[in-house]
Amino acid sequence: MLFSPGWRAPVRQGEVLAVFTLGLLAGGALSATVIWLLSGLAEPLPERVRTAAIVLVAALGVARELGWLAIPLPQNARQIPQEVLQFRLRRGSLQFGFEMGTGVRTYVSASSPYVLALGLLLSHQGPVACVLAGVAFGGGRALSSALTFWARDPDRDAAIGARMPWITGTTAVTVLAALSSLLLL
Amino acid sequence: MPQLTAGRLRRGLTEPLLPVAVLALLAVAAAALDATVLCWAAVGALAGFALSGSV
Repeated sequence: MLFSPGWRAPVRQGEVLAVFTLGLLAGGALSATVIWLLSGLAEPLPERVRTAAIVLVAALGVARELGWLAIPLPQNARQIPQEVLQFRLRRGSLQFGFEMGTGVRTYVSASSPYVLALGLLLSHQGPVACVLAGVAFGGGRALSSALTFWARDPDRDAAIGARMPWITGTTAVTVLAALSSLLLL
Repeated sequence: MPQLTAGRLRRGLTEPLLPVAVLALLAVAAAALDATVLCWAAVGALAGFALSGSV
């Protein structure tokens, strides 16, 4: 949607990508800051309980992505209105990226972002780790758009669609393995 | 041996599974090394990339 040709041609697509990425990073940082502020509320819980809850949620994420369990996600089931890109493309791209980066203004169709959010909330990391994880979340979303931009492939959507089960499945398993290793060992 | 054209090279470098493999290795390695901040950052990037194609 962001890089389709035609009426957006007067503004360079690379510029749109840069502004969009900036919005994604800022949105991720904001959400992570809110999570960090809220994570203090989890601190009274014993560490063992919090760790067990994180590993359990990550395991549920794996089960969901591999199709073993049907767990509905509490996502905001709406798309960001395309009107934000219609009049002021630079500002609209920034807003579009920011809303996507927060992870609460549109669809979040994979389990891993929920595991990330709950993991940060329950493990009560320091502000640097928490905000960097949020910025990296925005960066991960931006990387996907950047690869689409660089691929210049008209069949890109189909290529991504075919690999999505692998991407979400591998991600869920990795998140479970990494967080288990980090928090348990 | 097939010729490596610019199109094929571009397709290979922008393969969507490539960042997943790199970030997965980074997350697991960081966890094994107790590099907490790097591990959470890699998990964050993976979680963001897992939303590829979603708007």
